[in-house]
Amino acid sequence: MGFLDSILGKTRLPDAKTDRLFAISTASVTMEANLDLVPDEQAGVCIKPMESSYYESARKEIEGLLGLSFKETGTSFSFQRDEYGYAWVVLTDPDFEDLVTNIQMICQILMEQGFGTQLLAAVYRFKGEVTAYWIYSFKLGSYYPFVPKPGKQRDTAMEFRLKAVMQKELPIEKDMAKWYPMWGMPL
Amino acid sequence: MIRWKADRGLEARMLLTMFLLAILYLAFLAVLVSQGVSNMVIIIIMGGFMLLQYYYSDRMILTSMGARIVSESEAPELHQIVSRLCAIADLPMPKIAVVNSSMPNAFATGRNQKNAVVAVTTGIVQRLNHSELEAVLAHELTHVKNRDMMVMTIATFLSSIAQLLVRYLPFMGGGGGGRDRDSGGSFVVVFIVSLLVWVLSFILIQALSRYREFAADRGAAIITGQPSNLVSALMKISGFKVPTEDLRRVEGPVSALFIVPALTRSSLMNLFSTHPTLEARIEALQRIEQSGAI
Repeated sequence: MGFLDSILGKTRLPDAKTDRLFAISTASVTMEANLDLVPDEQAGVCIKPMESSYYESARKEIEGLLGLSFKETGTSFSFQRDEYGYAWVVLTDPDFEDLVTNIQMICQILMEQGFGTQLLAAVYRFKGEVTAYWIYSFKLGSYYPFVPKPGKQRDTAMEFRLKAVMQKELPIEKDMAKWYPMWGMPL
Repeated sequence: MIRWKADRGLEARMLLTMFLLAILYLAFLAVLVSQGVSNMVIIIIMGGFMLLQYYYSDRMILTSMGARIVSESEAPELHQIVSRLCAIADLPMPKIAVVNSSMPNAFATGRNQKNAVVAVTTGIVQRLNHSELEAVLAHELTHVKNRDMMVMTIATFLSSIAQLLVRYLPFMGGGGGGRDRDSGGSFVVVFIVSLLVWVLSFILIQALSRYREFAADRGAAIITGQPSNLVSALMKISGFKVPTEDLRRVEGPVSALFIVPALTRSSLMNLFSTHPTLEARIEALQRIEQSGAI
């Protein structure tokens, strides 16, 4: 994309920014040491709604590819739809490294299939005194914390703590007005 | 007793500001003295006035804010939080006052630790949760512990005199130096110098006040052990909220326009502000969290 594309009128939506997604893999150590938060065996990728025929073909493609590679790592996965109509690939694996690698792979496959612009967010769940999520926005190319409380409330203090402690290791979104929550995730 | 790890940079800036104020005031006094003794009379009178203000300012502030001292049975939660914080910070229990206002605010007053009053508005109690309220009260208690009321009264003493001279000298028909032949000249000198002192000291005092705020934030972080609670409270008080609107709704097909509350920054305004910007305070609190000074 660039000048030539503009000339030729090949307008494209900005592709997903996945380059900093991987940063979470090393961050989990600090999270456990400083915040007593450990990976909660689940992670997911949220994909914007698309027409069902596309969705089905993408789903079959992903299922085929994942089925093969997940045999090695022992990761289990499921496809889900949430109340907003968004599609989710939810992974379960006790090994955090495997989770990160496989989330990365799913994004890779989706982008190769031309669904790069449909990628919304990758989410990692952590547990401790509270359940905390790190949401990676593909649009922002950065992470932000999300700690939900009952009644669609957020534990803002805990989120600031997560930001303060993890700032050096994780690319965290500076503009807190963009820390949009994701209520009722399938993980 | 808790470790009170100092912020050397902040202390240095505070000392420098106080030093500059002292120099400014000494120069001011020198000019006043050189221009005739009668001005010194003004200072003595004003001194007495300031002393009175120092003694009664807490009552004046409470009355002007419409604050009412509440007993333990009236506000058990506030008393319980404050007494626990006082135990940690090694402070005598202050009086607690409540202002009936929906504006979220809190302040501390009183000339010393024994006569301190910590006041909160009903708005702040409603808006903040328990741990955020605790952080705000710890901030106010640090003002008490750092004797900020006294520091600021001393810092503003001569500045107030300069201000009064600027305002009332023209009406006093050339000040008190009427016996002098060149009273007209000395009047102008005193007026100009007073004006300069007033402006300069104003800027310095505001700077000092901001440093005291940083110090109080730091104290609150140390007393509660949780800087993030104060961050969260400051955000709430300033009206900033992390979004509650779901990402999928924002990114969805029916996207709405959002008015994003802008955290504005202006360095010129900073110079004339008693409180540091929200961002600067949050930044400082995050450094405390990261450094593990608590």
